[in-house]
Amino acid sequence: MKKPSFEEQLENMKKPEVSELKHQEFLSATITKAKDNSALSWWWLIIPLYLIAAFIIKSFYMPQSNLISDIHELKKEHYFTTTLCFLILPLVFAILNMISIRKTFFLSGNPAIIPFIKVVWFNVLIIALSVIILIVFIL
Amino acid sequence: MKLPWFKRVGLFYIPISIIGWIILICGIAYAVNVFIEIDSISHSVSDTLINFVLYLLIIGAIYSLIAFLSIRASNKT
Repeated sequence: MKKPSFEEQLENMKKPEVSELKHQEFLSATITKAKDNSALSWWWLIIPLYLIAAFIIKSFYMPQSNLISDIHELKKEHYFTTTLCFLILPLVFAILNMISIRKTFFLSGNPAIIPFIKVVWFNVLIIALSVIILIVFIL
Repeated sequence: MKLPWFKRVGLFYIPISIIGWIILICGIAYAVNVFIEIDSISHSVSDTLINFVLYLLIIGAIYSLIAFLSIRASNKT
């Protein structure tokens, strides 16, 4: 039996190619997952945001109280719940959304910034809100 | 049980199966129960609403978590 020469083997060799359609499907699934993550994050982050809004309104009508002292008071009374709402949840959702944005960015293959931001703007907003909640809690 | 129970439309999760509808109705029934309980001990309309909205948000968060997990599980299978 004749063995194919090395030269022939090299000529017949083809590089593996990912089809354009498959890549688009991956990208579409990743963007949908990123939007799912942002929707879930919104529903969980709205709880500490509501409390912060309530404390801001309280400090507006009662000059002797302020947001930071009210958060500290709440922390003393309900330590576990406050830590969960103002520290753990924002941290978890900020990380989750960062991972989603990173995945979408890599699958898009170095996209232009403005069209990319248009796709993931809600994830960016969720990260910003998480950072605000964390700052309010840490202060 | 056939997954998914919900589909996401914007920020909201809409039930698309009987189990999804049962979960939504249970959530609404629980919210009504909480509202009646809060209303019975509160001193004013604003007192009722301020306390009720917090519970409503918690119910909404748990509902969205269930919907999110059901969609995630259906994507894996």
